[in-house]
Amino acid sequence: MTVLVLTLAGPLQAWGSESRFTTRATDDAPTKSGIVGLLAAAQGRRRSDSLEDYVGLRLGVRIDQPGRLLRDFQTARSLDGRQPMPLSYRYYREDARFLAVVHAEDSLLELFVDALRHPVFPLYLGRRSCPPAEPLVPRLLDAPLGMALRDEPWRAAPWWRRRCGDEPPMLEFRVDRGAAPELADRVDGSTVQRDEPVSFDPEHRQYGWRTVDLGSVPVPGAPAPAPSGVRLTHDPFEAVD
Amino acid sequence: MYLSRIQLNPQRRDARRLLGSPQRLHAAVLASYPDAPTGALDGAPRVLWRLDVEPDARTFLYVVSPDRPDFAHLAEQAGWPSTERGTSKEYGPFLDRLAPGQRWAFRLTANPTQYVVPEHGGRAKRVAHVSVPHQEKWLTERAESAGFHIAMTPLPGVDSDVAAPVLRVTRRTTHQFSRRGADKPVTLAAAQFDGVLVVHDADVLRRTLIAGIGPGKAYGCGLLTLAPVS
Repeated sequence: MTVLVLTLAGPLQAWGSESRFTTRATDDAPTKSGIVGLLAAAQGRRRSDSLEDYVGLRLGVRIDQPGRLLRDFQTARSLDGRQPMPLSYRYYREDARFLAVVHAEDSLLELFVDALRHPVFPLYLGRRSCPPAEPLVPRLLDAPLGMALRDEPWRAAPWWRRRCGDEPPMLEFRVDRGAAPELADRVDGSTVQRDEPVSFDPEHRQYGWRTVDLGSVPVPGAPAPAPSGVRLTHDPFEAVD
Repeated sequence: MYLSRIQLNPQRRDARRLLGSPQRLHAAVLASYPDAPTGALDGAPRVLWRLDVEPDARTFLYVVSPDRPDFAHLAEQAGWPSTERGTSKEYGPFLDRLAPGQRWAFRLTANPTQYVVPEHGGRAKRVAHVSVPHQEKWLTERAESAGFHIAMTPLPGVDSDVAAPVLRVTRRTTHQFSRRGADKPVTLAAAQFDGVLVVHDADVLRRTLIAGIGPGKAYGCGLLTLAPVS
């Protein structure tokens, strides 16, 4: 089983799955429509092109560095400056880093790797204004999807690791239901979200529902836990009588 | 000697005023004594205090002093005057029970510093350690002369177990506050250490417990307290 492994890092990212009208939300992890759109853009597909050969593509993402939520109050005017456009709130993830693992036909994955190295259209992380800050480092891995999510090195930035200190956090993952049987004992919930792209055509955009399993894995190769015996509460009166 | 404690109520405006400035809190602590001890010589008993914020956000003021304090004004301005008026206990009997080899959980808020001689000569300058490794090293190096060792615990290593000190820096802050009569503000880097110690020299440790460790003693630094190891 071969999977494609990507690192998604940027000062701003926006992965929305259910926005309507002037409030443009972001999820806390990359969406399937966002990742599929990224791959399609790299291959140079137009929005109206068919997505048929992507059917059966499975996605797993891991939140290596959750970042923070940023709200942007956006104003805009028409090109001639006369007409005000609707005021909107746009949400972003700041300073987040994600691991994305894609499973598909081997031939398709190889096309993806080539395309990501020489993308036809500019690549962005969920919203056009969010370019990646680092190369996506596309890499093929001969492992099941769940193993990649569990064993791939932690993508967090050094400053974030320092902040986590001796207790590295559990890393949350989101994976298509049934795509990672190896992580079955790590799953502690599921959700349905409407981000399975059917068509990106601006004339009639369409998304289907998909079931996503949620869970968390420990940081791979984490350092040993902090020395025991240190309590956080301290009451000197216990000793004095 | 007395060990005293009073819980402060951070919801009150006066409490926030005190909690915001070690300078003001020190004045409030010293106002608990009719004859406020001042300018104690190094190693002599003095008033030491420390502010502890527990994980559930309760705020305690601990004081070790030669005389029994009266916290009435603190309770009235910054605490719960009708229910919590502070407690004081004789510290002497506990100090007398200290013996070499005992293990105690400890907490210390200190101002870890070192002296750096400027490159082009002149007087040495006192600068603070601000990173966790330096702060831990600072305390480990002082432990011997303060009468204790940091306890060690085995940690699973690659080939065999490694000994690791039971010591953590649980809080790091840099206070900046103005001081009357000085044109520049005072900057004070404080680190709260939690860990387990082994008594090495009981007499020296007794002196450490009542005279404090390191600089910044007037600003809530240097007070070491012990509790049973759980």
